[in-house]
This record gives sequence, C-alpha cells and structure tokens, in this order.
Amino acid sequence: MSCHDARESLSAFLDEALAPDERQRVAQHLEDCSECRRELARLEQTVALLHRLEPARAPVGFVDAVTAAARPRPWYRRVAAAVFLPFSVKLPAEATALVMVALLAVYVFERTPALRESARTQPEVREDPREKTVRPAPRGLTDRFARDPSSAERSPESKARPLEKEQDRREVPTTRKRIQSETEIPKQEAPAAAAPRSDAAPPVAAPPAAKDEGPLEKSQAENRQAPAPPSAEGTRPAPAAPASPRLAAKRAAPSADAVTGIAVRDRDAAERDLAELIARVGGRETGRRREQDATIVEAVVPQPRYAEFTQSLARLGAWRVEAERPDLPAQVHVILRLQ
Amino acid sequence: MREAEAGDAPRFLDRLRAGETAAFEELVITYQHRVFGVAVRMLGNAAEAQEVAQEAFLRAHRALADFRGDAKLSTWLYAITSRLCLNRLAKGERRLRRQGEETLLRLAGGERPDVAVERSELEAALQRAIAELPEERRIVVVLRDLEGLSYEEIAEVLDLELGTVRSRLHRARADLKDKLERFLP
Repeated sequence: MSCHDARESLSAFLDEALAPDERQRVAQHLEDCSECRRELARLEQTVALLHRLEPARAPVGFVDAVTAAARPRPWYRRVAAAVFLPFSVKLPAEATALVMVALLAVYVFERTPALRESARTQPEVREDPREKTVRPAPRGLTDRFARDPSSAERSPESKARPLEKEQDRREVPTTRKRIQSETEIPKQEAPAAAAPRSDAAPPVAAPPAAKDEGPLEKSQAENRQAPAPPSAEGTRPAPAAPASPRLAAKRAAPSADAVTGIAVRDRDAAERDLAELIARVGGRETGRRREQDATIVEAVVPQPRYAEFTQSLARLGAWRVEAERPDLPAQVHVILRLQ
Repeated sequence: MREAEAGDAPRFLDRLRAGETAAFEELVITYQHRVFGVAVRMLGNAAEAQEVAQEAFLRAHRALADFRGDAKLSTWLYAITSRLCLNRLAKGERRLRRQGEETLLRLAGGERPDVAVERSELEAALQRAIAELPEERRIVVVLRDLEGLSYEEIAEVLDLELGTVRSRLHRARADLKDKLERFLP
C-alpha cells in the first residue's frame, strides 16, 4: 500500500470505519511508515481539537417560537396575512388607495349639493330633541327655508326628509310653521333675508321629534287659545297673528317637559337670578327670548335636582307650573316665562 | 453532547403522526440544539440558523404524518436541516452577512464576542477554520466531528455513497489540520 492510498484511508482508520481487510493493510503500512504515523497523529489531534468545541445551543424561546409557528393559524389571521402581507408592498399600496378614496369622496362631496345638504341635516336628526331650542330665525330652519322657499307650502309628507325618522314626518312641518308665525318671520323666502338673523342666532333649532310629545303636548293643544281651526293628524295651521308670550312659550317648545310662569318685578334681575339658579342645579340654559312683556327662557335641568330648582324659583317671584310631564326624563327640558 | 434517542419509541412516533401538539413540542425540545447546531455551524450566523432550524421543524411537522420510521427521527431531521442549509448556501439566499467567527463564538460561549475571543483563541480559530471549508466538506465534518453521526448515518442524511463520505471527511480534516497547525502539539 502506498503512502498516498494509506493517507486517503487514515481518517476512516481513525474512526474505525474501514473494512477489516483494509484496516489490516493500513495498519501494516503504518508500522513501516513513520511519516504516515505522524500524519495519523496530526489528524487525531485535529479531531480532538474539534471535540473541544462547545456544542451550540438553540436560543431561549426557540421551542415556543417553533410550536407557535406550527399551530394552525385561525382564519382571520390567514385573511389578514392575505390582505396585508407582504407589508412592504401591500401597506403602501393600501395607504395610497385610502388617500385616493378619501380625496375622491371629498371631491364628490364638494361637487354634489345634495350631499352637502344632507350632511348639514344629519346632525339635527341625531340631536336630543329636548336640547333643541326654538329661537327667532334659527340658523337651520332659516337656511332650509331660505334654500327652499316652496317648502312652507308643501304638504307635510313632501317636506319630510329621507333621513328623518318616520315619526318626525308628521310634526316637522307643523312646528316649522308655528315657529315662523310666532317669531314673526314672514315667510323666509329669500336667502338674503335669512342671513343676518342666522348670524346672530346660535346654531340650534331643529324640529322636535313627535315621539317626545306626550301628555304635555296634548294639554298644550287643548289650552291653545289662538284662533286655530281644528286640523287632522296633528297638522296645525300657523296662526295669522303673533301669539301672546304665554302661548308662545308653550307652542315654541312642544317637546318641553315643563312650562312654568313666573311673575317678576324686575325682569332683568330675574333673568340674572334665573341664570344663576340654572347653573347652580347643574343645568344649562338652552335658549332665551325677550319679548315685549315677557322673557321666555328655555333650560335643561337634571331631573334629580328639578324639585330643588322649582322650589328655588320662589325667590324670583310668584310662580306657577302651567304644564308638567308626569314622568320627567333624566334631563328635564323646562320653559320659563318671566313676566 | 447527544440527547437520548427516546424520541424514536413507536408510541411517540404514533403520537407525532397523529398530530399531537405535545408530542411535536417534545420533539422540538429533544432535537432543537442538534438541528440548530448544524444550521449555525453551516451558516455561521445565529439569526439565519434560527430561521433555518425553525423551518426544518416546520417542514418536519408538515411531513410527520408521512414519516414511515425507516430512518431515525434524528437522521430525518438532520437530513432536512442539511438540505435547507446547503440549498441556502448554494442559492445565495443569504440576507444576513456572514459573521461566522463572531456569531459562532457568541453561540459557543453565550458571551460577548470580545470576551469570547479572550476566553478562547483556539475556539475562534476552530470556528474560522470550519467556516472556511467548502460547504460539502463542512457539512460532513460538522455531522461527524461535532454531531457525532456515523459514516452510514451521514451517507443517509446527505444521500451520498459511503466512499464519498469517507473521502470528503478526510479532505475536511486534512484542511483543518493545516489551518490549525499552530494549535497542534
């Protein structure tokens, strides 16, 4: 056996991985060849060095990572992965698409008057009817009537907007007519006529919902003294002449939970006191209207303190509850007439 | 250095084939260091090695139902891991720069590279020498001298003739002997 052949087998010889006859031949060669013996020793030492290497260890948490990855993913994760992965590609694309859709929506909105109009009316539908106030020339009503002069003449059904609730439909036009007449705004026909008033008026006033009309509304209707011919289905014609302040207070807020009249000596002082009183019981004033012989104040008072509120009214003057809902809501909408 | 081969018990294989989660977890616990060890010695980078080791287990998980048990589980896992490593090295799918020596030192000692270097210059030289071997020789020497597989097992893992294993191993050791000359007595 040559040195070359022997050295080719030295590694296997070291590992005892040679067949017996081959092993025998290599062993015999090694007995006679010191160079090959030296080579075998070097190989053996090299392998010994390799064995000194510490075994590598998998990092902490490796098992958890593998078992978690092996678990079948729930369907929503698979969908999310399909939608979003790879992030580097899909997220920028989706973000761009989102921005473009948003821009398109703004563009369409700006170019479509009908959309703008419905956007303007939507918040009114959501408002708590009790918090709405009736004022002279309120912005919402003014705008609406100003934009659509013919609406005052339409039938109640035709005036109802698609977004308004079904129960609103009956009452909305009636209320509008009433407000118009009581606030002495002739017909709100021209936008120019509406503008100055709407600037001064706070952004309130929406037609109250019919659902809030309880016994109080009925009693108000019964007590109404103005020449109002009977009408069917709650549609009341607008009075031709301005109503008295008392009547105005009742009519102006058909959704009020209570109407109270107070006879005062000094209206200015009483108004101030009343404002203080409302604030003290944690309520808030939602509207105020000065008329020739009375001041109509609307306020929302928390029901738990409503009793305290009414009792404290005695400080202002002789007061009388003219109407009051038997089951008061959490926020009592009260109309106060100072005269 | 080697964990017990209890993982090849027939009952355990049945549980694995049945897709029992606990059995798979047991498999990972048993073989994690061996699979990771091969990957990190071959790739020279811990992050990459972890990725490959995890992929090896996931592939095994998917194929467990079809595992016939002809080979030992360890041999089968080594085969999957070796193939993944060699494929990655051959295709150049290496997103992370090879940091061979430093990473391997960190792995071996669990220390910062500078500390590790101080601790063992020999170890650094060993790592460098292994990393510099051609891949087909490196895998053989890793499986034989670091993982302790027999020639037959290596032939099975790498799907090679026994003679090829012998000759590659001899070449690898001869290369290492030359590179590590100064550490030999």
